Amino acid sequence: MVCVLLISGCSIWPGQDDSANNKKVTLTLWYWNRSIDDKLIARAKEKFPNIELTAQKIGGDFKAKLKTTLAARSGEPDIVALNDWIMELFPSEDRFYNLYDLGAGDIEDQYLPWKWKQGVTPSGQMIGFPMDTGPTALFYREDLFKEAGLPSDPEDVTRQINSWDAYAAAGEQIKEKFGGKVFLTDNIGSVYNQVLSQGAERYFRPDGSFIGMDSALVRTSWDTSIAFKEKGLLANADGWTPGWNAAMNNGEIASFVGAVWMKQVLQEAAPDTSGKWRVARAPGGDGNNGGSFLSILKSSEHPQEAFELVRWLQSPENQLEQYQTLNLFPSAPGVFDDPAMKKEEPFFGGQATGPVFAESAQQVPDAFFGERYPSVHNIITRRLNDVAKQNADPQQVWTDTVHRVERELQR
Amino acid sequence: MWARMWENRALYVAISPFYILFAVFGLFPIGFSLYLAFHKWDGIGVMTYNGLNNFKYLLTDAEFWQAVGNTFMIWIYSTIPMLFFALIIAFLLHAPFVKFRTLFRVGYFLPNVTSIVAVAIIFGALFANNYGFLNYLLQSVGLPVVEWLNAPWGIKVAISSMVVWRWTGYNAVIYLAGLQSIPQTLYEAAKIDGASAIQSFFRITIPMLRPVILFTVITSTIGGMQLFTEPQVLVGNDGGAGAAGMTIVLYLYRESFINNYFGYGAAVGWGMFLIIALFSIVNWKLVQGKSS
Repeated sequence: MVCVLLISGCSIWPGQDDSANNKKVTLTLWYWNRSIDDKLIARAKEKFPNIELTAQKIGGDFKAKLKTTLAARSGEPDIVALNDWIMELFPSEDRFYNLYDLGAGDIEDQYLPWKWKQGVTPSGQMIGFPMDTGPTALFYREDLFKEAGLPSDPEDVTRQINSWDAYAAAGEQIKEKFGGKVFLTDNIGSVYNQVLSQGAERYFRPDGSFIGMDSALVRTSWDTSIAFKEKGLLANADGWTPGWNAAMNNGEIASFVGAVWMKQVLQEAAPDTSGKWRVARAPGGDGNNGGSFLSILKSSEHPQEAFELVRWLQSPENQLEQYQTLNLFPSAPGVFDDPAMKKEEPFFGGQATGPVFAESAQQVPDAFFGERYPSVHNIITRRLNDVAKQNADPQQVWTDTVHRVERELQR
Repeated sequence: MWARMWENRALYVAISPFYILFAVFGLFPIGFSLYLAFHKWDGIGVMTYNGLNNFKYLLTDAEFWQAVGNTFMIWIYSTIPMLFFALIIAFLLHAPFVKFRTLFRVGYFLPNVTSIVAVAIIFGALFANNYGFLNYLLQSVGLPVVEWLNAPWGIKVAISSMVVWRWTGYNAVIYLAGLQSIPQTLYEAAKIDGASAIQSFFRITIPMLRPVILFTVITSTIGGMQLFTEPQVLVGNDGGAGAAGMTIVLYLYRESFINNYFGYGAAVGWGMFLIIALFSIVNWKLVQGKSS
C-alpha cells in the first residue's frame, strides 16, 4: 500500500526532487524522420535525468500505424507527433490528454494564435502542442521573371504581383515570352489549395455544419484554378513525382506558391537551378500548408512529465535551433527576429528568405478545418484534375462535384 | 462420430495447425468484415449499427461502379494478350528444336517473382508523360508524344502491360505442363493421317488443353479482379487522372484506410466478392460450355 502511494505520488508531483527517490519514469515518443532533431532528443535525455526516454522514428505510413495502434488500444506511445491531419483525430479527443489541464495555458502567448487553435478541438480540448508551421510565399525564378519583363526583385514582386489576377497576368506574359515552353506554375491542385489556404474559412463551421459549396472562398478558389487552366498557365506537373522534379530542374516552371518547407524539396529537386530562385510574399495573401503537433496519449501513465518534455522540446529556443538544423519553421514568433532567421541562402541567390516567411506566418488567417476536411477537399481537387488534364467541361465538373460532396456528407 | 474423432485425436491434433491458423487469419476476418459491413466505424472510435446503409450507398456510388468498369477493362486489356502470348511461348518451349529450355523457362518465370512495387516504379518511368522512355522513343522517330498517364485508356494500358509482363511467363509454364501431358501418340497419328501443324494445334492441342486454359482463365480472373499494387504505386490512391486507374480493391483501400470508412470498405469488399463469384461462374460456363 505504501509502495503504491509512493509510486503514484512521484508521477503526480513532478516538482519533487526526483533524485531523492531515484525512480525514473519511462516515456516513449513516436516521430518521423526530420520532425525532431536527433541531437535535440539526445540533449533532452541529459536535461531530464528523471525520464527514461525511448524515441522511436516510425517509418512508412505514420498515420496508418498510429491509427492502427489507437484502434488496437495497446502498444501506444506516451507522446506522438501528428501532422496537419490532426483534425481527423478530433472525434477521438478522449484518447488524448487535454494539454490545458497540464499547464499549456501558461505559455499560450508564446505561440502563433492560429497555429495554437489548430490543435484545439471544437469542444475546447487542446490535444496538439505546436511544432513547426508551413507559412506560404511565392517561389519564383528571378532570371525567367526578368527575361519576361516582369519585376524580379522580391520587394517589387511582392508589391506588383499582389493578387491572383496580377499573378495570372504575369503568367500570360511569361507564356508569351517563352513561346509556351515555360509555365507559370505547376498544377491546378496547388493553385486551388493556395487560394483556399489564404481564406478564413474552409468547408465547415466549428459546430461541424457544412458551409456549402457556394461559400465565397470555395467559389473563388475554384474559379481562380479554372482560370489558370484556361489561360494555359499550368505545367500539369504533380508534386512528389519525378516529372515535377525534372520540370523544376529544367526551368519549365517559373514559379509556385508553396510553404516554407518547399525550400528543402526544391533544393533537392532542382540542384541545377541553384542561385536562380527568389521568394516573395504570396499573391492574394498569406496562408499555411502543413505543420505538425505533439500529443500526449491518454494511455500514458506520466502525462505531467510528458508535458514538461514536450514543452521543452518545442520551446522557442529549441524551435529556433531546429530551424537551423532541419529547416523546421518555428511556431513561436518570439524568435523571428533572431539573426539565425535572417541568414542569407545561396540557393536563393543570397536572399534571406526567413523574414519573408516570418511576415507571412504572422498574417495567416485563423481557419477551422473539421474532421471531414480531407475527404471533401480530396473530392474537389480530384475533380479539378479532370478539368486540367482531360479537358473536362468545368461547369459540368462543378455540378458533379457539388453532388459528390453532398453525397459524401450524407454517410 | 465424436467417439471416432476422439479415438483418432492424435491425428486431429497433428492437422490442427492449419485449421487454427485458418480460423484466426481467414475465418475470423471474413466474419468480422461481414459484421463491419453493417456498421459505421472510423477505425478508432465507437462502432455504430448502420443497417443496410453501406450497401445502399454502394449501389448508387458512381465511383464504385467506375472502379468496377475500370477493373473489367484492365482485365480484358491484360488477360487476352497475356494468355495468347503464354500459349505461344509454351508451344515454342515445347517444340523439339528449342535448346536451353530450362534457361528459357526460368527466364520467363523470373518477372513473376520480381517485386511489384519495383515493377510499378519502372513502368512509371517508361510511361511518364514528360521524360518517359516511351515518349522519348516516340519523339525520336518523329511521332507526337502520348500523355499516357493523363488519358483514361493510357493509364489502363500502362497497368495492363505490367500485368502482362508479370504473369505471361507464369501462365506459359502452366501451359507447358499441360502440353507435356498430351500423349505424343496423338500427334503421331495425326501426322500419319496427313494433318498439318496448324491443324494438329487447333484439333489436338487446344481441346486437350481446355482444362488448363480454364484454370488459367479462372486464376487470372480472380487475380485481375483483385488488382491493387500496380495501380496504387503507378497512379496513387486516387487512381490517377479521371480515376481511370481506380480498381475495386484500390477503392476499397482508399475508402477504408485513407478516408476511414471502414464499414463502407467492408461493404465494398463484399460487393467485390459477389462480382468475382458471378464472373468466375460466367467464365467457367463459357470455357466449359464449348466442350460439352
